[in-house]
Amino acid sequence: MAERAGERATTAGPGRVLVAVYGVFALAAGARAVVQLSTRFAEAPVAYLLSALAAAVYVVATVALARGGRRTALAAIGFELVGVLVVGTLSLLQPAAFPDETVWSAYGRGYLFVPLVLPVLGLLFLRRTARRPPG
Amino acid sequence: MVAVTVTAVLLTLAGIASTLARRRIGLLHLAGAALLEALLLVQGGLAVVRLAQGETPADTPTFLGYLAGIVLLPVAGVLWARTEPTRWAGTVLAVAAGAVGVMIWRLQQLWEASGG
Repeated sequence: MAERAGERATTAGPGRVLVAVYGVFALAAGARAVVQLSTRFAEAPVAYLLSALAAAVYVVATVALARGGRRTALAAIGFELVGVLVVGTLSLLQPAAFPDETVWSAYGRGYLFVPLVLPVLGLLFLRRTARRPPG
Repeated sequence: MVAVTVTAVLLTLAGIASTLARRRIGLLHLAGAALLEALLLVQGGLAVVRLAQGETPADTPTFLGYLAGIVLLPVAGVLWARTEPTRWAGTVLAVAAGAVGVMIWRLQQLWEASGG
């Protein structure tokens, strides 16, 4: 898709692994959000809407990376990094506001901190592939 | 359950090994993924039968969500890995298998927290 000269595809080599990890998270966060929203939305609407938002961001990032949509991927992954930092910090400072876990609670502790590491890797990867000559 | 975990761990290691050895995935990986998928389908089938008999975990929707996700993972992993012509295919498969390894334990926890 729409690769500019000098850019490497985001779907080859390590990029493919990144897409796989994002896919797993899109699935995990998405399923979790659907269950939470459909069965007990009233208990913690803010936390569950955040779960849904996080899931949507993972889906966008996965699709953008898989199709080589560099700009969209950058936006989604950047948003994801901000999200995990803000929600992670808030969930530690004000646990009462987050009665149930989201993917981003406590910087993604429930997911082995992968949600914190993933956007950093994603951004590094986008940078690297943008600079390298093709091939 | 134990068989699923062992297979998932072995497949993860095999995937990482082929990446480290700079090789593409081979028949071994595909066979491993097929075995994993077969075990998951058996496990999933048993769970569905017991659900139908009225034995329900406390959080049935979450349990079903995990169950649906876990049986899809090896298939998605293989499809995504097979179109990758480089050594990274192994890591792709390792990611899928690793996720299965984690999710099967989560499923077990959910099942044991029986609502009765």
